[in-house]
Amino acid sequence: MAAELTSTRLNAENHLLLVITTSRSLPLSLACPRSLDTNLIASFQDQPLLRLPHELARRNFKSVQRLVEREKEYVLPALKETANASLSNNQTADQALAALDAMISRMQGLKRKMENLHQEEKKIQDQSRKRIQHLERLHQIPSLADVKYDNWARVRLDRLIVDHMLRSGYTESAQQLAHEKGIEDLVDLNVFVQCQRIAESLRCGETKDALQWCGENKAALKKSQYNLEFELRLQQYIEMVRTGHKEKFVGAMVHAKRYLAPYIDTQSMEIHRAAGLLAFPPDTKAEPYKSMYALERWAYLSDLFVRTHHELLSLSSRPLLHIALSAGLSALKTPSCHSAYTSSSSNSLSTTTSVCPICSTELNELARNMPYAHHTKSYVENDPIVLPNGRIYGQQRLLEMSKKVGCVEAGKVKDPTTGEVFNESDMKKVYIM
Amino acid sequence: MELVQKEHDRLTRKITAAQGLKTVQSTIDLLQSARNAIAADPSQAAITLAKLQNPVKSSFDSINDSLKETHSGLNKYSKSLDKLFKDRPLPSTEHDVLSSQEHFINRAIAMHLLREGQFSVATNFLNEMANKKAMKKQREAGLSAKDSAASLSDLDEVPSGEVKEQFTTMYGILDQLQDKNNLLPAIQWSRDNKEALEARGSNLEFELCRLQFVWLFHGGQHQQGPSPGGRQAALEYARREFHSFLPRYLREVQQLLGAMAFCPNLQDSPYKGIFHNPSAWSDVAHSFTREFCSLLGLSADSPLYVAATAGAIALPTLLKLQTIMKAKRTEWTTENELPVEIPLPPSYLFHSIFVCPVSKEQTTDENPPMMMPCGHVIAEESLKRLCKGSRFKCPYCPNESHPREARKVFL
Repeated sequence: MAAELTSTRLNAENHLLLVITTSRSLPLSLACPRSLDTNLIASFQDQPLLRLPHELARRNFKSVQRLVEREKEYVLPALKETANASLSNNQTADQALAALDAMISRMQGLKRKMENLHQEEKKIQDQSRKRIQHLERLHQIPSLADVKYDNWARVRLDRLIVDHMLRSGYTESAQQLAHEKGIEDLVDLNVFVQCQRIAESLRCGETKDALQWCGENKAALKKSQYNLEFELRLQQYIEMVRTGHKEKFVGAMVHAKRYLAPYIDTQSMEIHRAAGLLAFPPDTKAEPYKSMYALERWAYLSDLFVRTHHELLSLSSRPLLHIALSAGLSALKTPSCHSAYTSSSSNSLSTTTSVCPICSTELNELARNMPYAHHTKSYVENDPIVLPNGRIYGQQRLLEMSKKVGCVEAGKVKDPTTGEVFNESDMKKVYIM
Repeated sequence: MELVQKEHDRLTRKITAAQGLKTVQSTIDLLQSARNAIAADPSQAAITLAKLQNPVKSSFDSINDSLKETHSGLNKYSKSLDKLFKDRPLPSTEHDVLSSQEHFINRAIAMHLLREGQFSVATNFLNEMANKKAMKKQREAGLSAKDSAASLSDLDEVPSGEVKEQFTTMYGILDQLQDKNNLLPAIQWSRDNKEALEARGSNLEFELCRLQFVWLFHGGQHQQGPSPGGRQAALEYARREFHSFLPRYLREVQQLLGAMAFCPNLQDSPYKGIFHNPSAWSDVAHSFTREFCSLLGLSADSPLYVAATAGAIALPTLLKLQTIMKAKRTEWTTENELPVEIPLPPSYLFHSIFVCPVSKEQTTDENPPMMMPCGHVIAEESLKRLCKGSRFKCPYCPNESHPREARKVFL
C-alpha cells in the first residue's frame, strides 16, 4: 500500500483552513456608533475564528478613542476658560466650582463608559485567547491517528454544525448545542442572531432594520461590492408607487430625489427605470416593471443583505460545514457506495469494520452526485479468493467468519453478503494487481 | 501560531493593565482636589485653576499615549494574523452542489445529534425546522399561488421518532454498561436480536456474557478481587448460560473454566489477558455500539463526523489542485472522479477498491472487474479492448483465454 495513500501525517498549518475565511486584510472602516458595539460585542462567529473578534476589538478601540477625544476637546478648553476667567476676576468662586463640577461629571461619565468598553474589550480578548488555545491544541497533536485529534475534530464538527444552524436561522438549536458542548466561546451566536433578525424582517417586507444597519455601517458599506442601501431605497420607492395614490407619487419623487439621485453615476439605469415605473400600474405585464413590482424582490433583498453582511465581516458565503462536507464526501466516496451489487451493509468488510459513512443512510443521498475519490492502487483484503458466485473475500477472514456464524457445517463457507453456502474446495485464488 | 499567541498575550497584558482608565481616575482626583481647595479657600481659585492646567493636559496626553500603545498592539496582532493566514483562501464556491440539498444536510445533522445522544437539541432542531417550513409555506401561500410542493422537502425524511427511540434505547443500555457495570440490558438486547447478529457473524453476545462471567468472578458489585463467593457465582453463571455457546465457542469457554484453577495467581497465569483487561469495558461498549448501529443500517461513527474530518484532511490537497488548475488554466476532466488522490488514514477506507491494472481506472457497475481463468482481474472495458473478440493473452501471465471465459467478480 502506497505510503501516501493512507497518510496519517498531520499538517496543522494546512489544517486551519476551516477556521479562517479570507486572508484579505480588512480595511474595514471602524467608525460605528456605540450602540452597535454593545450589540456585537458579546458575540462571535465560529468561522473567522480569530478575525471576527479582532474586528470587534478594533471597533471597540475606536469607540474608546472617540470618547477620549470628545472629552478632551471639552475639558481642556473649559478648564482654560475657567482659569482665565478667574484670573481676570470675571467669575465668582461659585461659578468656578460649578465649572469644575461639570468637568468632573463629564470625566466620570467618560470613566464609566470606558469601564464598560474595557469590560467588553476584556471579554473579547478572553474569547480570542480561548480560540487561540483551541487552535494551538491542534498544533500539538502529532498525528491524525491520535486520540487527541479525534477530540479536536469533534469540537470542530460541533462548531461547524452551530455555524450551519445559525446561518440557516435555527438559532435556538444553535444556542442549545453550543451551550451543551461548552463551546460558546468558539462560536459567534449574537452576530448571526442579529443578521437573521434583519434578514427575516426584510423577508416580511420591512426595510427599517436593514436601513438602520446600513446607517451604522455606512463607511464600511462604501467598499462593498453590493448596492444594498440603494436597493433598499429603491424598494421603499417601489412600495410608495405601488399604492397608486397620486399624493404618494409626490412623496415617492421626493424620496427618489433625496435617496436615489446620489447614485446616478453608478445606477443610472435603475434610476431611469424607477422613473418609468410611475407610468405603470402594479399589475402591469410589461418588463422590467413587472419584476420591479414583484414580491420576490423582498427575498432578493434579504439574500442581498445576508451577502453584504457576511462580506463586511469577512465571513464566507457558504457555511463551512458545506465546504468540509463536499470535500469529505468526495474523499470518502468509492464507486461501491452507490453500486447495485456491493453497497451499504453488504460491504464485504462489514463485520470487521462498521458501515461506510457514505453508505450510511444519513449521507447516502447527499453524496449521490458527488465525484468519487481517485485511487491509483487497488486495496483489497489479504489473500483474496473468489467464490463460485463471483464474490471476492479474504480467505482467512471468510473461514473465521463462517466458523463463528455457526450454522455452517465443517468444510463449508458462507458468503456473508448473499448468505449462500459453498464448499471450501470451491474457493479459488484470485490475483489482484 | 506562536507569533499570534505572543502578540495576543502582549495585547491582553496592555488591555488588562487599563492604563487609560487609571489615568482618567487620577484626572478626576486632580479636578476633585482642586474643587475642594477652591471650596475651602475661594481666594485661591485663580492660582489653583492655573496650576491645574498642565497636569490635566498631560494626563490627557498620557491617556492618548496608552491608547496608542493599545492601537499598536492591535495592529501587531492583526499583522500576525495576516501572516498566519496568508495564502489560505477557502476553496471557491463554484461546485456548490450542497446548498441545493440543504434538507439532506439538516437531516444528517438531526441524525448526528440523535446518535450523539443530544436528544433535546435534536428535538429543538426538528421543531425549528418544522416551524420554518410552516412559515415559508404560509408566506408562499400569501405571496402567490405558486406551487410550492417541490420546495417542501417534507419532514418525514427527517429521522422520525422511531430512530430517536432506538438511540434512546442504545444510550440507556450504554449508560447501564459503562456507568453501572451492568451488562444485563446489553445481553438482553443481544438475545433479542440473536438472529440478525449471527447473520453478521458477530460475537457480541458471547463477548458480553464472557465479561459478565469475569465481572462475577471479581466479586460482582463489590469488585474486591477474586473470592470464593465470586468464583461460585461465576461458575453458576457459566453453568446456567454457557451451554448455548458451546458449539461455537468451545475453546473460549474451556479457557474461562480452565482459568478457575489459577484462581490464586491469575496475574501470572496465561489467562491474565482475559481477567485483567483494563480496556475490556470500553471494548465491549464499542462493539455494542457498532453492532447496534449496523443493525439500523448506520455506521458506528457518526458519518457526519467522519465526512467532515475527512473533508478537513482533504481540503489542503483540493485547494492546491485549485491553484494549479487556475495557474495552468486546465479543466477538471474526469467528471465523476476527483482528479487527485487524497491521502486519508487507513481507518477511513471502508470498501475494497479495485483499480484496473491496465486502464488504471476504478471499476464501476458499468465497467465491472472481470476475472480471467488464470485468476487475474482486469476491468471489462480493458478486456474488450485487449481481446478484440478473439482469444487473447492475459497481460500478466502467459495464459491465453477467450473473453467468454472471463467472469464478472464482486469486490
